[in-house]
Amino acid sequence: MMRRLVWAIILICPLLLLCGCWDYTEIEILDFVLGAGLDQVEPDYLVVTEMIKTSGSAQEAQVETVVLTTHGRSLSSAARALSSPAGRDVFWSHAQVFLVSEEVARGGILSAIEYAVRSHHMRSTVAMFVTRDCTVEEVFKSKPPFNDTVSEHLGVLIDLHAVVSNFYPQQVWEFTSDLTAQGISGTLPTIQLVHEQGEKVPIVKGTAVFKKDRMVGWLDGEESALFSLLKGKFQRDHFVMETRTSEGSFPITYQIMGNKVDIKPVVKGERPRMNIKISLQLSVVEVGHGAKISFQNEQEVKNIEEQIAHTFNRRTKDLIEKLQLEYNSDILGFGQLLRRKEPDIWRRYSEDWDSFFPLLDVEVEVKCTIAFTGLSSQPIIVRD
Amino acid sequence: MFFWRRAKQKKPRGLTSVTASLDTNIDWFKQDIFANDDTIVYRRFRTGEPQSRACVLIFAEHMVKHEFLSEHIVRAMMQGPLPNGLHRDDLIDYITERIIHSDAVTVTGSFTKLAELITGGRGVLLIDGCDLGIAVDAQGWAKRQVAEPPSENVVRGPRQGFTEDLGGNVALVQRRITNPAFKTKFLTVGTQSNTKVAVLYVDSVASPALVEEVLDRIQKIDIDAVIDSGYIQELIQDSPYSPMPTIGHTERPDVVAGKILEGRVAVLVDGSPFALTMPYLFVEAFQSNEDYYNHWVTATFHRIVRYISFFITTSTPALYLALISYHPQLIPTNLVISIAASRQDVPFPGIVEVVAMGLVFEILREGGVRLPRPVGQAISIVGAIVLGDAAVSASLVSAPMIIVVGITAVAGFVISTLYDTAVLIRLLLVLTSSILGLYGYILGVMAIVIHLASMKSFGVPYLTSMTEFLGQNVKDAMVRVPWWRMTLRPRYLAAQDRKRLQSTAGSKDR
Repeated sequence: MMRRLVWAIILICPLLLLCGCWDYTEIEILDFVLGAGLDQVEPDYLVVTEMIKTSGSAQEAQVETVVLTTHGRSLSSAARALSSPAGRDVFWSHAQVFLVSEEVARGGILSAIEYAVRSHHMRSTVAMFVTRDCTVEEVFKSKPPFNDTVSEHLGVLIDLHAVVSNFYPQQVWEFTSDLTAQGISGTLPTIQLVHEQGEKVPIVKGTAVFKKDRMVGWLDGEESALFSLLKGKFQRDHFVMETRTSEGSFPITYQIMGNKVDIKPVVKGERPRMNIKISLQLSVVEVGHGAKISFQNEQEVKNIEEQIAHTFNRRTKDLIEKLQLEYNSDILGFGQLLRRKEPDIWRRYSEDWDSFFPLLDVEVEVKCTIAFTGLSSQPIIVRD
Repeated sequence: MFFWRRAKQKKPRGLTSVTASLDTNIDWFKQDIFANDDTIVYRRFRTGEPQSRACVLIFAEHMVKHEFLSEHIVRAMMQGPLPNGLHRDDLIDYITERIIHSDAVTVTGSFTKLAELITGGRGVLLIDGCDLGIAVDAQGWAKRQVAEPPSENVVRGPRQGFTEDLGGNVALVQRRITNPAFKTKFLTVGTQSNTKVAVLYVDSVASPALVEEVLDRIQKIDIDAVIDSGYIQELIQDSPYSPMPTIGHTERPDVVAGKILEGRVAVLVDGSPFALTMPYLFVEAFQSNEDYYNHWVTATFHRIVRYISFFITTSTPALYLALISYHPQLIPTNLVISIAASRQDVPFPGIVEVVAMGLVFEILREGGVRLPRPVGQAISIVGAIVLGDAAVSASLVSAPMIIVVGITAVAGFVISTLYDTAVLIRLLLVLTSSILGLYGYILGVMAIVIHLASMKSFGVPYLTSMTEFLGQNVKDAMVRVPWWRMTLRPRYLAAQDRKRLQSTAGSKDR
């Protein structure tokens, strides 16, 4: 028994040495791609990547970024070609952002996302962006003031969406599912470069609107914030509004404390309509120009609430009109809602949604309450 | 002197029992049984007049209380005159009943028995003309004071620990269970050492089959000597090839009392301060006596900490290795970059680093344990400086590896009874995960769990109460429920008398 056991162990041990570890790597020979982008598709793919370069001793490791550009006949071949200039095995699983230039977006985004969706190297949670008025390479070569890498900077901006909401974040899988679903079009947030203390700094602001797989136009920051609100995203956004009060007209800053959006298709007679109900809870953050407004005055508050509701109503209608008439792109997913709630009606229009969508009647109803006024409900009254 | 005597006298041969002649008896002891043994003392004296008789008191010099022998045997015999006409049994009865002041007396005529009694520390009294010997208990040798056991410290709880004295150890337990149901059975093990072994249990609680099994296993031991309870443990335990302990050991009488009150059996061995308790289950490694003295919430918390520590000490190096060698995508980006940076100049692959650092730590620990305390401190200082700092600056190992080894080591000390086992488990998991990554780690864990589930300790499945979700057994496994909820003893032990807390009705009010 014992002898057999010993023999078994002696025979099994060399077997362990025979089996190869095909998946084995050493972590220090990997080059981590933090962000990638596609600048052009024709005549060949131009892939820009931001990679991490580690140096220094074991105790004082230093990290710097390297931006590499490679060409290839496909995205994957360009990505593979990276290994040669990088001199290491390129590791894609830590990529956080994927940028697409306006040119590529307008020419058809499928050429960019096919590899991102198919490859197991890139995660489906990678955040996607379209660069506006700049190339991907310029974005990656810009210098964010606080974060070490551009990709990290962009990742932080996405996390800050609730605070600065003038874009609508999209990950590869969300964008792809919008592209492939019926009755909804895709959007991607936009990256712009601004000048800050002599350096170019990338910011995320605005939205690129797609029609099928091609980009058709932009939404600016304010429109994007409203779009994000209509999409039901949690927001703590600030906005300034010129408000008429009993004391005159003043700019007052409000913060959204609670937002609830309910979009419902209503079928009356032949044609479906969309009914949008927005309810907002607001907090007064700052009252401009020394206005003496007391928020204990019920009449005053009601008046202000009505003004805000009216403004939101108008802006929502403007945005939808722009989407209907200018871009003819159903990025709010009215068609999808109709398909879910009224499948019979949808079947009638699904073939011809493109020509029906611009004619769709949309009703907007905004309810607005000022729930908080900060620490004081009284104005600061200066006396001698 | 001996040569002279041997040459002159004819050596009596083949004596098995005491003769009536005192000189023959003494010679037999001197020249045969205790030949060349200088520790045996033969004190000759005569009883008081008128019926004066020659007597001898034989004892091992350093095993007895000298004052007791001189006062209560020699002096009593010299003073008390023996009445006339007493022979053999009557004489022995008279002496044991009226003269010798001792609570424990053995009368026998067998030389081998008497010899054993002498080496066991008794005084043997032989009287001329009588073919029986009287052995009087007078054991007295250097004993350690009852002190706090160094291997099992408590913050709150009794501070008594076992010593090397079997009788004292049994008394320490008996004092905690003053009840006739508390039983002690003495056995003798070891053909050379004749070591006394005590089997302790509570009659009304412990299953008779278990007691029978323990006694049977101990009786079957055929070994020359038993120096420590570890001998017994290894000779009677289940799954002897497994590194997992299937018999528990403790230095604390309160732990033994607690365990036998649950229906376990304890074995104490003369000369060893470590008591054995059986059956021993996996969950017991995570129970501490302090759990039962502290508030149940804190006790539960500490118990969970122990489970987590066991996971950390067995798995951290394996998981670290699997992650950095096979699954760098599972590490958060910032961490993976800093690990990669710190491994930049390290010349060895991860597996070499893990095994080497683990080995170095074990060497340091072993060195620190065996060395005298002042030198041991020097070892730990050298270890801390060499490992913590110099090795990293010299790029021999990476800084994260130091953290992994450190947390592994610290967590290992939390469950001290499983420390050695944890080292082996850790090594196994490191090897499997170095070959197959996380997949290998999971296979390794499965192998260990299957092994544990296949084991038994004295008929009780080793994983009992860890594989259940409901019932009384669970109340003292992952958590320690309050005493008023632990109304019953564990079913697998105390089948005959399960009720621990009498008033279960009143418990619901609290």
